[in-house]
Amino acid sequence: MSSFTPYTYFQCPCTEASLPNHRNPSQEEPSSSDDDRTFDPRAPRANYSLYPLEHLFYCEDCHQIRCPRCVLDEIVTWYCPNCLFEVPSSSVKAEGNRCTRSCFQCPVCIAPLSVSSLEAPPTGLGYEYAPQNGPFVLNCGYCSWSSKETGIEFEKPNGIFAQLARVKNGGEPILTAKERKKDRERKRDFSGTSAEKEREETPEVEIPREPLDPNEKLDPESQFSNLKAFYQGQLAEASPASALGFTGDYGYGSPGALSRIMGLYTGSTAFDKKVKAKAGTMREAQDALEGLQLTTISEEEEALTKLRTEGWHCTSSASQRAEFLNTNAQFITELRPVAYLLRTKRSKRCRTCRHILSKPESKVSTIRFRIRLVALNYIPSISIKPLQPTSSASSLLQPMRPVQFLLTFKNPLFDSVKVTLATPTKTPGRFASKVTVLCPQFEVGANTDAWDEALREGTGEKRRTKAEASEGQHQAEAGKVWERGRNWVSVVVEVVPASLHIGGPEFLKNEEMKDDEGPLKEDEDVCEIPVFVRVEWEADAAHDESGLGGGGSKEKDVREKRELAYWCVLGVGRIAKV
Amino acid sequence: MSKKSVKGEYIETDTGNKVSRRSQIIGTTNIILGGKTVIQAEVIIRGDLLRTYPTSTAGEKQGNPVAVAIGRYCFFSRGCELRPPGKLYKGQFSHYPLKITDHVFIGPGSIVEAALIGSHVNIGANCVVGKFAIIKDYVRILDGTVVPPNMVIPSFSIVAGRPGRVVGEIAEGEVDGMDLREVYRAVGNH
Repeated sequence: MSSFTPYTYFQCPCTEASLPNHRNPSQEEPSSSDDDRTFDPRAPRANYSLYPLEHLFYCEDCHQIRCPRCVLDEIVTWYCPNCLFEVPSSSVKAEGNRCTRSCFQCPVCIAPLSVSSLEAPPTGLGYEYAPQNGPFVLNCGYCSWSSKETGIEFEKPNGIFAQLARVKNGGEPILTAKERKKDRERKRDFSGTSAEKEREETPEVEIPREPLDPNEKLDPESQFSNLKAFYQGQLAEASPASALGFTGDYGYGSPGALSRIMGLYTGSTAFDKKVKAKAGTMREAQDALEGLQLTTISEEEEALTKLRTEGWHCTSSASQRAEFLNTNAQFITELRPVAYLLRTKRSKRCRTCRHILSKPESKVSTIRFRIRLVALNYIPSISIKPLQPTSSASSLLQPMRPVQFLLTFKNPLFDSVKVTLATPTKTPGRFASKVTVLCPQFEVGANTDAWDEALREGTGEKRRTKAEASEGQHQAEAGKVWERGRNWVSVVVEVVPASLHIGGPEFLKNEEMKDDEGPLKEDEDVCEIPVFVRVEWEADAAHDESGLGGGGSKEKDVREKRELAYWCVLGVGRIAKV
Repeated sequence: MSKKSVKGEYIETDTGNKVSRRSQIIGTTNIILGGKTVIQAEVIIRGDLLRTYPTSTAGEKQGNPVAVAIGRYCFFSRGCELRPPGKLYKGQFSHYPLKITDHVFIGPGSIVEAALIGSHVNIGANCVVGKFAIIKDYVRILDGTVVPPNMVIPSFSIVAGRPGRVVGEIAEGEVDGMDLREVYRAVGNH
């Protein structure tokens, strides 16, 4: 069995606050039951509120823990994770959330693609100064996929995104949206009589009224742009050109749309008629030019024969299709290099007071934070280690045999804190282990600067505490702190692990066991102890108002009592199966 | 080393490096150690894989060529291997220097052929970091990851999988825990 590392998770109070409101907003919960209620780390909801201390923030305005669920993210910078170039938000809006330079991921395995030349390397005198010539291809260094497999080659080694946008798999050029638009407009200008001539010029583009060429296959982007153009045209035709001259955009502000909306409510027949008349004029897309793609039998047969000859391996997997924007790509040969999704740097705000909890520097290359209010700097951390070093080979807890653990509380604050611990006598769940905190109330000394610490280390303060501990207590004593340092305190908690025996006499079973006598579930053998931690300290009240100036110095002496209480879960170990 | 004549596991250098006697360091003249770095047993560092391709800038300093540059407070666990990456460029194969900055932890059995590893990077056990990978600061690579060649991993990423992909972000509070000073102090010489 894999080794078990003890863990401590903290519960964010945001779930606590929302819980009663969801259940019964009108009925007030009696405070006594609220006090009795213990936190069950095995409850399905608990998963969403427990975090390691490192993931939590502390809001200085609300004086409360904030978890990733109760903060608001704000994007500071967009950047490409591959070339680390910052992308301005305007171009993110215009060009989408992908890198538009030369950063691509392999469509097969998502590893980064690198550009390489197909030409043989230059030789002879001064070869190192000779420029590399095309054609260039994208190569995957992980799975050896190459864009050559799908027939894509590039003329230049840079600006791959723009080059890729112009070429289909197989090397045929793609008409860009602009060119398509031009074509469409031209089509409208010419009547059906000049169709022959037009066809010679642009063989790919279909002409209305002619039967659809089955070979004309649009790629998803151009199909979308065609469809969009078609529907926009339809809407423009259908919407009444109002007196003010609004056409096309069909916004709610246009008088035509407004009158239609009004008609919905008043039910006036005059409008009804009008609407019905309009609906009649709308039609659906009829050909490729308008964005209609018909599936032909020959296409299906092609796919079938390909499946038959090349087998399962030539098809694309679901994850590959998900990565690729076109989810219709059935075969690996239809996949195209995927441009890197942009990543963001985000600042975080408290949801309740909008106070900024974390704000990184906006530059991509810097890793500093302007503001970083992490719970680590406000809440005493809890570390767990067994009191008796486990000499036996198995690190498992033996059922029904008491074990003692040392909980070390380390105070990050520059004020000393009073800590009060509370645990249920038995852990919740089917296998209830008995828990006793030998010293539930203690004070942890204040933290000092790192410089002070370094100076004081020489005086041997740490050693003194250790010596004290070793000479004084060999046995953990109730009500006494086990070991104490400058800003840390260790207390002993005794656990009598439950037996993982399912059957057994009726009187030994607890309620939950009677309800469910199924076999042992996953991780049910982990002994988790819910602990309610209450931290009290006195902080400088002037600290908050220091920004206001004025009477800051006068109020410096005023100490403000602070209190913070939260649930923690200590995972101490796995219980051995007998 | 001179002070402690008793043979311990580690050779301690003047700058505080702790180098295991059972490590294999090849081409020591081409390796720079910034100090306070721990190199455990069976670690292989290939300082002999030097750059052979001529540098484009003519004004290169005449000194020892560097194949592996390592910063301060790095920790190389048992059995990991550091090799400078190599590639064919314009018909000539050459290795390029491997640069590792400060507070970099590399887990047991991992093979690293990166071009650059930023500070506070934690690479788990049995990972492969492909050729010319660039890993920025505050990155955690989970056990068994294969980072594909040429991959760039931005700061505050958690990477896992084969091939490696960014699966998460380092939380703001985790940043402090990636300092390796305590780890260095905990390494005893016995």
